[in-house]
Amino acid sequence: MIIITAAIYVFGGLAALATLLMIFQRDPVKAAMLMLGALLSTAGLYLALSAQLLAVLQIILYAGAIMTLFIVALTATPAAWRDKPARGSFAKVLGLAVAAVILTELLKVSGALKAIIVSPEFTETGTLDLAMALFGRFAFQFELLSLVILAAIVAAVALASKRRPA
Amino acid sequence: MSSYSLAAISFVLFSLAAAGFLTCGSLVRMLMFLELMLNAANIALVALGPETVSQAYAVMLFAIAAAEAGVGLALLITLASVFKTLEAENIRELKG
Repeated sequence: MIIITAAIYVFGGLAALATLLMIFQRDPVKAAMLMLGALLSTAGLYLALSAQLLAVLQIILYAGAIMTLFIVALTATPAAWRDKPARGSFAKVLGLAVAAVILTELLKVSGALKAIIVSPEFTETGTLDLAMALFGRFAFQFELLSLVILAAIVAAVALASKRRPA
Repeated sequence: MSSYSLAAISFVLFSLAAAGFLTCGSLVRMLMFLELMLNAANIALVALGPETVSQAYAVMLFAIAAAEAGVGLALLITLASVFKTLEAENIRELKG
């Protein structure tokens, strides 16, 4: 149990560190690699939370497919368009202050959770149970999701095929 | 370990991603941080929700994230070809 708790903190800390370094990284490709680190740490966090299927999906979908899309987008756009000097310090300070307010409020609102003690243990989450939920109880939501993805594909193709002059 | 600690991990990740989103000017980076914010929300869902139900919703959120990334990147490539820039400050017209 201690190992699981330690793993949760370690993977959470690694994900936070990678996200923090991403903010200060100027090279977009290195930032993408740091994002990959954050996503892989999240996969580890899912494993520690006994969500094995989600850990696998996180690696395949986020770290695999979505990261590849980002790298393709970075290589498809000329470097001169991406590597511009950073914003002014006022905008940065304002952004950081807003993020700090969001964090403080979230922590304040969730104060009631302090009373709920959990003991994380490594259990096997039944993929069958998950499939039963997706295709039984949440079948409507799951089917709606296919419409969302279809709309996204149509939108992406329509956007990419339209070439308008400036 | 309390549920608060689990929630705090996802809140910290969400806030860091929000800070990155608000401070960077490049649209590609903004989309990256947006994905990380969605990822943090997913962690909160899995950590705090009932096991099977929260994981089923997390699987659906993965699909939403993939759709969002696809449309977002198509939009970015179109914006880049029209405005010749990927800086949010330089894109001021809604009708390109």
